[in-house]
Amino acid sequence: MKKSRAMKSIIPLVVTALLVFLSACSSGGQSSSPSPSASGGASPGASSPQPASDGGAFDWKKHSGGQINVMLNQHPYAEAIIARLPQFEELTGIKVNYSITPEENYFDKLTTALNARNGNPDVFMTGSYQLWEYAPADYIQELDSFLNDPSKTDSGYDINDIFKGILDGDRWDLVPGHAVGTGSLWALPLGFESNVLIYNKRALESIGAQPPKTFDELIEIGEKLNGWNGEGSYGVAVRGTRSWATIHPGYMSAFSMSGAKDFEIQDGKLVSKLDSPEAIEITKKFAELVKRAGPKDWTNYTWYQASSDLGAGKAAMAFDADIFAIFQGSEGASQEAGNLGTAPPPIVKEGQPVGANEWIWSIAMNQSSKKKDAAWLFMQYFTGKEHTLWGATQAKVFNPIRQSVWEDPDFLARISKFPGYYQTFRAVIDNTSIKFTPQPEFFNTTTEWAAALQDIVTGQADAESRMKQLAKDINERVSRIRVQ
Amino acid sequence: MSSIGRPDPSVPFADLANASATPNSDKIPPIPFMRKARPYLILAPALLLTIGILIPFFISIYYSLTNYSFKYKDYSFVGLENWTQMLTDPLFWHSVWVTLQYAFFSTGVEMLLGIGIALMLNQDTRLSKALRMVLIFPLMIAPVIATLIWQLMTNNSVGVIAYALRSIGIDNFLWGADPKTAMFSVVLIDVWVNTPFVIVLVLAGLRSLPKAPFESAMVDGGSAWFTFKTLTLPMIKPLLLIALLFRIMISLQEFSIIFALTRGGPGDTLMSLPLTAYNEAFTYKELGTALPYMLILWVFIYILSYYLIRYWSRAQKNASGS
Amino acid sequence: MYALFALFPLFWMLLISFKHDREMFNTIFVFHPTLENYRVLFSTGEYIGYFMNNVFVSVGAVLLSLVVGVPAAYALARFDFKGKEDLAFTFLSFRFAPEMLVILPLFLIYQRIGLYDTAFGLIWVFQLISLPFIIWILRGYFEDISPEIEHAARVDGYSWWRVFLKINMPLIKPGMVAAALLSFIFVWNNFTFALLLAGQDVVTTTVASLKYISSDTVHYGQMAAAVTISALPEVILALLIQKHLVRGLSMGAVKG
Repeated sequence: MKKSRAMKSIIPLVVTALLVFLSACSSGGQSSSPSPSASGGASPGASSPQPASDGGAFDWKKHSGGQINVMLNQHPYAEAIIARLPQFEELTGIKVNYSITPEENYFDKLTTALNARNGNPDVFMTGSYQLWEYAPADYIQELDSFLNDPSKTDSGYDINDIFKGILDGDRWDLVPGHAVGTGSLWALPLGFESNVLIYNKRALESIGAQPPKTFDELIEIGEKLNGWNGEGSYGVAVRGTRSWATIHPGYMSAFSMSGAKDFEIQDGKLVSKLDSPEAIEITKKFAELVKRAGPKDWTNYTWYQASSDLGAGKAAMAFDADIFAIFQGSEGASQEAGNLGTAPPPIVKEGQPVGANEWIWSIAMNQSSKKKDAAWLFMQYFTGKEHTLWGATQAKVFNPIRQSVWEDPDFLARISKFPGYYQTFRAVIDNTSIKFTPQPEFFNTTTEWAAALQDIVTGQADAESRMKQLAKDINERVSRIRVQ
Repeated sequence: MSSIGRPDPSVPFADLANASATPNSDKIPPIPFMRKARPYLILAPALLLTIGILIPFFISIYYSLTNYSFKYKDYSFVGLENWTQMLTDPLFWHSVWVTLQYAFFSTGVEMLLGIGIALMLNQDTRLSKALRMVLIFPLMIAPVIATLIWQLMTNNSVGVIAYALRSIGIDNFLWGADPKTAMFSVVLIDVWVNTPFVIVLVLAGLRSLPKAPFESAMVDGGSAWFTFKTLTLPMIKPLLLIALLFRIMISLQEFSIIFALTRGGPGDTLMSLPLTAYNEAFTYKELGTALPYMLILWVFIYILSYYLIRYWSRAQKNASGS
Repeated sequence: MYALFALFPLFWMLLISFKHDREMFNTIFVFHPTLENYRVLFSTGEYIGYFMNNVFVSVGAVLLSLVVGVPAAYALARFDFKGKEDLAFTFLSFRFAPEMLVILPLFLIYQRIGLYDTAFGLIWVFQLISLPFIIWILRGYFEDISPEIEHAARVDGYSWWRVFLKINMPLIKPGMVAAALLSFIFVWNNFTFALLLAGQDVVTTTVASLKYISSDTVHYGQMAAAVTISALPEVILALLIQKHLVRGLSMGAVKG
C-alpha cells in the first residue's frame, strides 16, 4: 500500500520525461522553434497577464511582478550577481530568490534539484563540463531560440562581443565525441579561467631564474625551489585529489600541448586514447613534476590548498587557474600579495602552440522552468555588457567574457597591477578552449583518471600499465553511453 | 501520594533499587485497564512517523533493478544486472574490505580507549570531574567540520601538526596523502570525534555499579585486573554492548570523514561502500548501479545489529540477575 | 595524553577564530588577535538566521521525538503484545539506515508533497536519528518502574494520565534528559539531510559553516568562528545537565 503510493509519485515523473522526450524528437533538432513548454505565457501564478512570447518589442519590464528562483555556487562571480540584484529587480520588476551553496556540495544539490524536473530553480550556475550531462538528460533549455528572438533579447546585447573560444565552450551538438562549438547554445558564460603558470617573483629571484618556458624547465626550477621559503615550502602547486578537478587544470593544459588526445572516434565509437605513447609520456612527466617539485601531500590538494599555499609563500609556483594571481595577489589578500606574476603555460613539445584548457562558469536555464522568459531576462542582464563591465571593474569578475571589457581603460588599469596577467591572457586566448572531448561520462572518466594519476604518483603502479588499464576501464564505461 | 508508600518524587532515584528488586513486569498478570489494542494505539504515532520515512527503502529496491540515471531522460527495467555487475567487480570486494577494516579499527580503538578513559575518570577528584565535563566536547563538532580542522592541522606545508612533527624530526608523515597512512588518518579522526560517546556510556555504567561487591573484593585482596574482569566487566557489559552496537553500525556507513579527507583516495585506497555508492550516484549520476552498494550494506548492518541485540538482551538478563 | 588529543583541535579552532586570514598560515601561536571574524559573522543578520533555524529544527525534532517516543517506549516496556520485540528492533534499525539510501527517494517525495526546504520536512527526517535513541533508552527506564506502583496509584483513584504524569515522568526524567541531549547533539550536527533536503529557506549552521569556503579563498578564521558559535548551545546544555547525562544513561540501560 505504501509502496503503491510511492510508485504513483514516480509515474508522473516518468510521464513528464517521456513527453518532453517526444516533443524534443518531433522538433527534430531545429532550434528555431521553441519547444511547446517554452512559452512563458502559460506560467501560472504570475500576477500580471504575460504577453505572448511572439512579437512585440523588447521590454525589460515585460515580466514585471514575476518571481524567479536562482541557484548559485559560492564564488566571486555569484557575489557580483547578488550585489547587483537590486538593480536588476528595479529594472525588470522581477523578484529574484536565490540560494548559494559551497562548491564542494553545489553540484550534488543542483543535480538533485534538476532531476525533480519541477521548474525550481529557473536559472542556475554551472560549469561547461556539466552541460555534457545536463543537455542529453534534457535538464536545460537550448538558448538560440531566445537569443535570436528580437522580442526577447535586447538589441544591445551583442553576443559577438563574447570571445568565441569561450562561447563555444557552451555549445555542443549532443553527439558524444563531437567537439564543442557546434550545435545548440546551452548556457551563457559568466567568466572563465585558463590554466596557466602563476609564480612568486621573490622565489624565482632567490635562485636568479626566469619563469620556466618548457615543462622540463618547470620541473628543474621547481625542484631547485624546494625549501625556498623555509620548512614546508616547495616548488610547484598542482591539484591532486581523487576528483575530476585534478585533471582539468595544469595537467590538461600540458596534456593537450603534448599532442595527446583523450578520445578519438573510431568506427563510430568513442575510443580512449589514454594509452597512447604521448599520453603515457606526459603523464610520466607530470608525475615526475609532482614527485620532484610538488607538495608532499599532493593527493590532498584541491584548488584551495594550491591557491592558499601560493598566497602563504609555501609554493613558489602553481600550474593552475590564472585568477590565483588575483585572488591571492590582491592587496591584503595574502602574505605574498604583490609578489605574484603570471606566465603562459610551459610548452611540452617543440612546435605545439601555446594553449590552455579552460574552465567556464556559466548560467543555464532549467528546461522545466515555468518562467523561461523572465529567466532569460536575468541571464541576459548578468552576462550583458553593463554588468560584465561593472563586475570587472567594481567586483571580482577578473576574467570577463567580453572583448569590449578587455579594452576598457579602467579594467586594464586594474589588472596592470598584476604582472604578466594581461600579456598571458593575450598570449593564450586564441588557443584557449576546452581540450576535453565532450561526452556524458565526463565525470566518470576523469575521476577514474585522477585515481590512476594518484596511483602513479604514489608509486602504487607504473605509468604504462596503469594508463593501459585506465583506457580499458574508460572504454568499458563509455560503451555504456545510451544512444538517445 | 504518600498513601502509595513511595518516597518524595523529588528524589527520583531513591526507590529505583526497590523497583528493580521487584519481579519482572512480564510475570505480573496484565493490569485490567490495559486493553489489547492499546499498545498498538500508543505506538501508532511513532510508527507512522518512521514508516513514512521508510517508503524510500521500497523505492530504492525498485530503482536498483533499473538503469535509472540522472544523465538520461528515461530508464528501463534491467533485472539483476546492476547486482551481478557489482558482485563481479573486483573493486566491490575491495570496498567491502575497506569498509570492514574501517569499522573494525575505529570501533576497536574507540571501545578500548573509551573504557580506559572512563575507568580513569571514574574518580571523585576535582581533575577528573572537570575532565568529565570537557572531554565530551569533540562530540559536539560535526564530523564534516572536524575533518576540515584536522586537514588544516595536518597539511604538510601550513599545518600546525606537520610543523610540530618536523620540529621533532619527522618529515615524511603524510596522513591521508600516503596510501600507507591513509586508513590510520581517517580512523584517527573518527576516534577523535566518537570516543566521547563511548566514554559517556561506559561512565554511565561505572557510576551505577553497586558498591558492596567491590568493597568485599577489596577485603579479599583481589588484584585490580581480577576485580575488573570478574566484577566490573560483566556488570557494565550491557552498556558496553550498546556503545559497541551504535559505534559499529555507524562506522560501517561512515561517509563524511573519508570523503572530506581523501575522497576515497589515494588511488582506491579508501573506497569504502558508502564512498563507492556516492561516487556512482552523484559523481557518475547512475542511481541504478549505486543503490545495490547501499542496499547490501544496509542488509548486512541489519543482520549484524539483530544478532548484537539478541546478545545484548542476554547480557542484560545476566547482569541484572547477578 | 588523551585529554591533549581530544582538546587540542578544539583549542586550535578557537585560536584561529581570532586570527586574521592574512596571518592564518604564517603564524602559529603568536599573532595579532582580532575579533574581525566574529564581526563579519554578525555583520549581517544571516548567520543569526541560520542559527535560529538550527535551534528551531533541532528543538522541534527532539520534542517531536519525545512526544511520540515516550509513549512508544512505555508501550514497549509495559505491555506484552504480539511482535513486541520485532517492533522494538525495527525502531532501532532506523538509526542504521544509510543516509544516502534514504535521501534520494525522499528528495523526490518531499518535492512532490511540498516538504522540501521546510523546517517540518527536516524535523520529520531527523526522527530517524533522534527517535530510536530516545525509545531505546526510555524503554529501559519504564521497565525499571514496577507496575505495582502504577497499579496502587490507580487503586487510589488517580486517572491513568495522572499516574503517567505524576509517577512515571519524574522517574524517567534523568533518562529523558540524557537521551534528549544526545539526540539533540546528533541532530544539531547533521549535515547530509540538512544540505540536500533544505538549503534555501531553511539553512542550518552546519551547512552554513561551509559557506566560508569561498572559491577565491577559504576563510578558515570565519569558519572557525562560525563553528565555535554553533557549538555553544550544545556546550552550554551539556554543562547544565552534566550530572544527568552520565546518570541518566546509566539507570535505563543497565537494569533489566
